[in-house]
Amino acid sequence: MNARPTSSNKIRCLLGMLGADVHSKGIRTLAQLLRDRGVEVIYLGEHNTAAGIVNAMLAEDVDVVGLSFSTSTYVHYTRDFLDNMRAAGIGDIPLMLGGLIHRDDEPALRAMGVTGIFGPGSTTEQIVRFLQEVTGKPLSIANDIGGQF
Amino acid sequence: MTAQPVPGDGTAALESSANSADVHALEDVSVKLSRTATWSGIETQASYGPGDVQQVDYARDLGDPGQYPYTRGAYPQMYRSRMWTLRNIVGYGAPEDTREGITSALKMGTAGIDVVIDALSQEAIDPDHPVLSADAGQEGCSLPTVRDVEILLQGIDVTRTDVAWHSTMMIYPLVVAMARKQGKDLSKLQGSHMPDHLQLRLAGWSEAIVPADLGHRTTVDCIEYSVRHSPRWALGCPQAYDLRERGITAAGEIALGMAIAKQTLRDLENRGLGVDRVAPSMAWVSGSDIDFFEEIAKFRALRRVWARTMKEQFGSLDPRAQRLRIACHTSGRSLVYPQPLNNLSRAAVQTLAALLGGVQSVETCTYDEPICIPTESARELATRTQQILAHEVGAARTADPLGGSYYIESLTNQVETDALELLAKIEAIGLVKAVADGTLEALMDDYNYKIQKELERQERIIVGVNKFQPKDEAPTKRFTFDPAHMTSHIQRFKKLKAERDAVLLSDKIDALYRVAQRRENAHPAMIDALIADASIGEVWGTVRVASGLPYDPFRVLEAPFRYPVP
Repeated sequence: MNARPTSSNKIRCLLGMLGADVHSKGIRTLAQLLRDRGVEVIYLGEHNTAAGIVNAMLAEDVDVVGLSFSTSTYVHYTRDFLDNMRAAGIGDIPLMLGGLIHRDDEPALRAMGVTGIFGPGSTTEQIVRFLQEVTGKPLSIANDIGGQF
Repeated sequence: MTAQPVPGDGTAALESSANSADVHALEDVSVKLSRTATWSGIETQASYGPGDVQQVDYARDLGDPGQYPYTRGAYPQMYRSRMWTLRNIVGYGAPEDTREGITSALKMGTAGIDVVIDALSQEAIDPDHPVLSADAGQEGCSLPTVRDVEILLQGIDVTRTDVAWHSTMMIYPLVVAMARKQGKDLSKLQGSHMPDHLQLRLAGWSEAIVPADLGHRTTVDCIEYSVRHSPRWALGCPQAYDLRERGITAAGEIALGMAIAKQTLRDLENRGLGVDRVAPSMAWVSGSDIDFFEEIAKFRALRRVWARTMKEQFGSLDPRAQRLRIACHTSGRSLVYPQPLNNLSRAAVQTLAALLGGVQSVETCTYDEPICIPTESARELATRTQQILAHEVGAARTADPLGGSYYIESLTNQVETDALELLAKIEAIGLVKAVADGTLEALMDDYNYKIQKELERQERIIVGVNKFQPKDEAPTKRFTFDPAHMTSHIQRFKKLKAERDAVLLSDKIDALYRVAQRRENAHPAMIDALIADASIGEVWGTVRVASGLPYDPFRVLEAPFRYPVP
């Protein structure tokens, strides 16, 4: 995956949620864990529209974007979000998903353009490795062994 | 007992016969003590004795079951006189879909009808919202108008049947509006809901959907209206379950819940409703997490804290106000996605803890809760879990069976001490301020972060998650339902909006706007507007605009009304 180079030499990662979903504790914890590792996290929290997140991505010059879902409507929201990204000319920014993503849906999500999927059982280390791979920017080494989400 | 080799203890035999990889494999699957603190982090001794409970005075601190301070239970005979209510939550799709689910739940032996509302209705957003429509009918029943409540409850008399609503925003006004349309006597209205809006603000609804100040005022308005007009309606407040799930200790649940209850009671006192008029209608909505002993101690400490607070701080004279009733839903957060059948064991232990802790109703989570909306077979197993506990295990037999245990009494004291300490800190800041300025969210974030770090270091083990992971597990079957009813539900909603009496509606919306702008209790005007076929999105949107907020928290929709110029 070729991510566009951004002005920062740190990884700039935007995290947010779409729709009516209120289950934010996972993504809030992830934001803190990634900050610990030197990622610049732009945290938008719950209750965003796709257009709102895409505008923030443009304004914040991010390397990568992560959405968390704990409701079953993620396939719909992800498709709509990718359409919004492409329409804004930033379809090349890697998108990762986390939360309660069912394995059966992974092929469809990847086919529509999702780069990373971190469903139940994924570890912080896997997310950190993914961020380094897609951005080509290094992060600090964790002292801890990988935990789970 | 035959002399079988004990796995993990038969090291001598293993050394001679197995290679080191096998030894490691065996050690890995053996059971061992991996943690000496409770799940919330209270350090535990290897054993407890009389010295640990020296300060406990039976009459002062425990009392018989049904006696102040109610540590040992709300009622003298407990489940012999008042069996706990076995509840099963149902809710998905259109009102017609959920009605089918209720019918099947009643067939399998659920005592109470317990309805969960979809995320949009819980946020007072209409199902035709241009960017959120996909969420309509997901995770709960879509109920945007009084007409939808009428479809859901067709043939059910709300003055005779106890319907429990697992929801906060707008559901009470909807039910009252329906009862009034039907000419029912509100003083006989049965059922319950969870009017605690401050917990919504903390549990992910965020400032965008429920600002702390408006939310808390709405809680007080709702309880005032209910106590004055529908005294038999039960109020699940505080709704401490969601706070616990968001991330806080057992003691923290008591502290936050008490802070919310006390602020609400003080504000109602200022409106002329004393503690003995309000508190008997209140029930604590609690979780039951995975630490068996800590949860039992929590329920016991909670009743004692509640009783003393009502009597000593609010001057309650009525035992019904001092005797706390607890509605329990087992922890959804503690259930995990890998190897989901293990969640049956977790939910069974949590349900037993709730019963030994003396709760009045229990909803046992289904094992598939981390995966999807509960499937019918999973719901049936949750019901059977409670029946096994009631009929086979002996959970109903005697009140407070662990009372007097050195460990349980000591832990009850510890949870109480920790809770009162945190409560004092919250009250020193001021509850609404501590919610609005992020202090309490930060507390919860710290708790979740600490747990995650402990999981990463394996200082805390969750089976199947950070140890004993299943290999090559087949994905669990998901709940599905036919979207046909949802499609016609949304069409019906749009048709209703087009065909209703626009002049009447406009009058009622105007009246609501003026009342809300004066910061008066908006409930009578909300109910009037709902009877005139306003939707929940329109009613709450009007309250929002009158409070200086955008009509649509997502800032996509403009208000469909022209509001009066002050």
